[in-house]
Amino acid sequence: MKKQILNTIIRRIFTSLIVLFLLITFIFFLLRISPGNPTQKFISPELSPKLAEKVKESFNLDKPLFKQYESFIGNLIKGNFGISYTYRAPVLSVIWNFLPFTLMFSLMSFIIQIGFGFLLSFLAVKNINGKLDHLISKSSLMIYAIPSFVIGVSLIYIFSVQFNLLPSSGFSSINSYSLSFIGKLWDHLEHLILPLITLSLGGIAIYFRYLRDNLEDVYNQTFILNLRANGFSEKEITKKHVIPNAVSPLISVAGVELGLLFSGALITEVIFGLPGMGRLTINAILSRDYPLVIGCTFVSGVLIIISNLIADLFKAKIDKRLLKEILN
Amino acid sequence: MQKTLKIWHLIIGLCLILLLIRLNRVINSYILLIEYIGLFFSNYTFAVNQLSLSLIDPLISALMIVFLPIFLFLKRNKISILSSRLNFTAVVLIILTIFFIFAPFVADSNPDFQKNLSVTRLLPPLSVVKVIHLKDKGKTTLNDIGKFITQKKLVVKNIFNESIIFADSVHVDLGVIYFQKGFSTKISNKKLQFKNGKPYITSRMFILGTDELGRDIYSRLVYGARVSLFVGLGSVVISLLLGLSLGFLAGYIGGIIDTIISRFTDMFMAFPIIFLIILILAFFGNSLLSIIIVLGFSGWMSLFKIVRGEVISLKTKDFFISAKLIGLPKRNLLLKEILPLILAPVIVNLVFQYGNVILAEAALSFLGLGTGNLYPSWGAMIAAGQNYLSQAWWMIFFPGITLFFTLYVANNLGKEINVKLNPRLNE
Amino acid sequence: MRFKQIYFILLLLIIGILPACNTSSPTKFNGVVVGISSDVESLNPLFSFTVNEGNISELLYLSPLQFQWDSSKGELIPQPMLAKSWQWSKDSSSITFYFRKNVKWTDGVPFTVKDVIFSFDVYSDPLVQSRLFGTFKSLYTDSSQHINLAKTFKVVNPYELIINFRKDAVPSLVDINIPIIPEHVFKNVDRKNLITYEKNHNSVFDGAFYLKKWNKNQSIILQANKNSFLYKPGNIDRLIFKVIPDYTSRLTQLKQGEIDLMEDIRADDVPILRNSNNLVITAIKGREYDYIGWNNLNPSIYEKSKKIVSNQFFGDYRVRTALTDAINREEILREFLDNHGEIAYGPVAPIFKSELDTTLIPRSYDPGKAKELLSQVGWRDSNNDGILDKNGKKFSFTLYIPSGNPRRQFAASIIQNNLRIVGIEVKIQSLEPEVFFGKMFDKKFNAWMAGWSVPIPLDLKPYWNSNLKENILNVAGYQNHQVNTLLNKIDVEKSKEKRNNLNKKIQDIIYKDEPFTFLYWIDNIVVYNKRIKGINVTPLGAVLHCWNWSVNK
Repeated sequence: MKKQILNTIIRRIFTSLIVLFLLITFIFFLLRISPGNPTQKFISPELSPKLAEKVKESFNLDKPLFKQYESFIGNLIKGNFGISYTYRAPVLSVIWNFLPFTLMFSLMSFIIQIGFGFLLSFLAVKNINGKLDHLISKSSLMIYAIPSFVIGVSLIYIFSVQFNLLPSSGFSSINSYSLSFIGKLWDHLEHLILPLITLSLGGIAIYFRYLRDNLEDVYNQTFILNLRANGFSEKEITKKHVIPNAVSPLISVAGVELGLLFSGALITEVIFGLPGMGRLTINAILSRDYPLVIGCTFVSGVLIIISNLIADLFKAKIDKRLLKEILN
Repeated sequence: MQKTLKIWHLIIGLCLILLLIRLNRVINSYILLIEYIGLFFSNYTFAVNQLSLSLIDPLISALMIVFLPIFLFLKRNKISILSSRLNFTAVVLIILTIFFIFAPFVADSNPDFQKNLSVTRLLPPLSVVKVIHLKDKGKTTLNDIGKFITQKKLVVKNIFNESIIFADSVHVDLGVIYFQKGFSTKISNKKLQFKNGKPYITSRMFILGTDELGRDIYSRLVYGARVSLFVGLGSVVISLLLGLSLGFLAGYIGGIIDTIISRFTDMFMAFPIIFLIILILAFFGNSLLSIIIVLGFSGWMSLFKIVRGEVISLKTKDFFISAKLIGLPKRNLLLKEILPLILAPVIVNLVFQYGNVILAEAALSFLGLGTGNLYPSWGAMIAAGQNYLSQAWWMIFFPGITLFFTLYVANNLGKEINVKLNPRLNE
Repeated sequence: MRFKQIYFILLLLIIGILPACNTSSPTKFNGVVVGISSDVESLNPLFSFTVNEGNISELLYLSPLQFQWDSSKGELIPQPMLAKSWQWSKDSSSITFYFRKNVKWTDGVPFTVKDVIFSFDVYSDPLVQSRLFGTFKSLYTDSSQHINLAKTFKVVNPYELIINFRKDAVPSLVDINIPIIPEHVFKNVDRKNLITYEKNHNSVFDGAFYLKKWNKNQSIILQANKNSFLYKPGNIDRLIFKVIPDYTSRLTQLKQGEIDLMEDIRADDVPILRNSNNLVITAIKGREYDYIGWNNLNPSIYEKSKKIVSNQFFGDYRVRTALTDAINREEILREFLDNHGEIAYGPVAPIFKSELDTTLIPRSYDPGKAKELLSQVGWRDSNNDGILDKNGKKFSFTLYIPSGNPRRQFAASIIQNNLRIVGIEVKIQSLEPEVFFGKMFDKKFNAWMAGWSVPIPLDLKPYWNSNLKENILNVAGYQNHQVNTLLNKIDVEKSKEKRNNLNKKIQDIIYKDEPFTFLYWIDNIVVYNKRIKGINVTPLGAVLHCWNWSVNK
């Protein structure tokens, strides 16, 4: 068994690398043939036109396309993603400034989404088709229908503008360096409350829906009836049989969602001014910072692939039967 | 005897109400239609020149508003959906469809109409402004063309109107003085239109208020249904074609083509869609068409997986193998054997996809990547309203509510179809 | 179950109590917080390409002179900074600077003229690609625009320096007033990688402030340099730039006192701000104007063969004049900008009082006159479809605007309406700024709306000289021989008064030709908290000379 799992992982990684490579090549050419060029900001009445020329040279943009690709691949093999045009620093170090925040923020949101999703679906199923179930189901459908930016803007309006309870943007207050460790922690948390709510509500609705329907499905199956008839306690049935069966289809969804979360919750970051990967990538695209765009794409791609892999492995652990499905 | 309200009750009812409220416009449209047809015989080139969307729109709506109720009444027992009970989803969908078809009659004015901004800007819902009617300056020729043009002015609403003036309040004494935000102007009786010996002054209400350019939000909301529908439908069709064809190819042919296409799909899923969208929009510009294309290209992946999965599992089933052995061509296999079976999950997926697309279009507008506030798209209205959050909450509230209801209904519809077509869950 | 309940209650208690531990109010300190919309990329004056970067780097690195704005004449007045005094030679071909003797870099090394010469060297070095590369036209340079140090500089003593200008140039103090960088820090750095080096090393400064901390994308914290000659006890000892990308959040924080100063405030928000009694509303005037660009050339022919052929719509100056008459600029200025600005009728801002031709008056909104003019040139509605036509061609075009600018979207909508009334059909298309500016500089549009930020002092040549290859900023493709001659005369004219007259003549010609429809000069509305004392907002900026600020405690 273990050898098979190892085999799968290696095969996955191999194919994923190929996918990543194709992706990066695709983006490389797409960027260079789309209109707009990175030296745009060097054209202005106060700058000499010769400066724009020089900058273009230093970015290697005056060379033919394939030559640029060649040197790009050459650098890539050595692990060098090049220098970002806007930050004038190595791409990976720029990303390193933004990645930790995104990872932390995504994980926090993920835990909240799964946690509340679980909680709500259990509550709903305990009282299945009753008033509570209907209430929660209808509300989750409604929450799913509200665009996240409307939620975000409304939250800012209510909590920051009208009632001045929570900060409206940023990750920390300006005087945070003078606070104690607990103070700093609390300061960060304060700034994250509204963004987390905005980001997680949609996800909670999704997980709730999936889980509740799955739980209902499983509870209605005949083998559960069998187990009850045989005298197993409700708790044991829930823990050992219902949950694993209901949760496994959820895991692949969770894997995909986590991967997407990692690539940066763009809208939330924009509304709340958070220093994350989403904003970094968007700004890189808009300012045609080619090396940085490719770097961000690569990192997002890796994160998505990793989360999918972890999700699949997790699923396999829960149900060995499904392992065969993955191996195919 | 308890009468339950059925769908055709609502549709016909709404049509009749609309007809009664806008009777004037409908009658004018019919007159215009008759004159236009007459123009084809008298002055062919001119008639062809006049052919445009803004002309055809009210004419078609006028025709439909009479013939649709008649048609539905006759077919009410034959088409089963029409006899189903009304529920919330159905009501919202019907209202949206009415907006779509009868926009020229439902809306109060052209969605881009603006005039006298100092008076009409950022008005709250239920605001009323005074309208001073001016004398018609143009010379009216009495031949066919002249009559047609005068009639056209009555029916086709333009983005400007030179024969009225909006004012906050009007004082009629020996002359007419009107007030616009503190500035008063006197206007001579020579320029005014008179009715019953008095200057012709009416008032106009903006039901849902106006936006920062003085445009009627209600009219924009109504025409916005068209934009959302086009964008949604267009993208969904593109996703359908892509997902279906690629899924069938990958599933049916299998082997290395399957691996290539599957990896290609993985690549698409590995790349956060929003970035792809931005890149493509930069390439093609921010027009409505590019948004449709881009959203279509971002949604085919899940459909692909469904179709591929079904085709693969079907390949091993007996009836399929026997159909192949008999020698049915591939096209028949696709249409007759596979399509009916995957119809259920595909339709469900498409309905959810529709909801996603509308949401995505709104999000793009919010990020500034949409068509801008020049097309009345609900998402763009919300994005523009964000700048005026503290002064004009209605700019976000009304499009927000319509967006919310549309999405809610789309999701509900998907759920209901899922339940209907997947009987297993019903137990 | 009981444990869970206890947990819950404990959690609630902690959440309730903790905020009390964090009561430090952010603004009761001896400093000022400025809200900015995005982080800067570099604090080194060599690479300060944006206004914020320029402002901050000039607080960290001093220049030989500082300039004050004379609002009555609309001119710059030079004042001493690193240089105590200076003296022009008799023929004005060289200048002697006498520098202060007591200025020290923050690592203790004294400032000398070595730093000045080194700075000029680095600024003009093609390997460095600094923002001033290629701009030292009045100094001796070699073929790659690098300053010839031997010819240009003569060191008399460590605090006295002679700078020689080229014999045929018209020298000015503005040309050589650059922020000085420390030689001892940068001299051993590889020039090619200077820009990358700078990011990772906290440099030394000699300005009124030094960089205390730079939290990327969050805040830039400057601390007053108490050893600087600019520092006066009692003035602010901290200046913080807080990055808040969202406009509404920035405004909210201004109202609540979390930030003390904010620029680029929207006209709509001013009435609300007036109501709060701790804010002062002022503006930086005359630095920015919007215009509608009419391509004077035929873009497709120009693209293919670089031949200059008149545009089929906008080549005739009478059409352009009619278009200006048809556009209700006053309405846009009044409704969107709430009259925070002035109607523009030429490229010279009203703040340049001595160079402005005051005999010119802007055209007023007159659609009747526009229709007449257009029909004189041959544009009439011959087929009664509501759109003007001429020789079978409809007067219909697309107006391009860069996306993300509410003011231009607003204006575009009104303009579309205005032009439709006179019978011109306009479609509006918004493009992403990168794409937009690329196409604009390539002159691919027939019509577009954009804006210019004008430099101080006034310089019309880059925009209006007819040589399109050299002057890429001449986006309309404006061709006028007379204007060229006048512009060339200005280059070699030494008398300020004569230069002013030449500028006025140019404005006259441009007024008649109407190459653009100039829309309006836009006020950059600045709002700051009353607790800041000693602040003076001029067209040069709001944060200028902030070492003179003090705050109420």
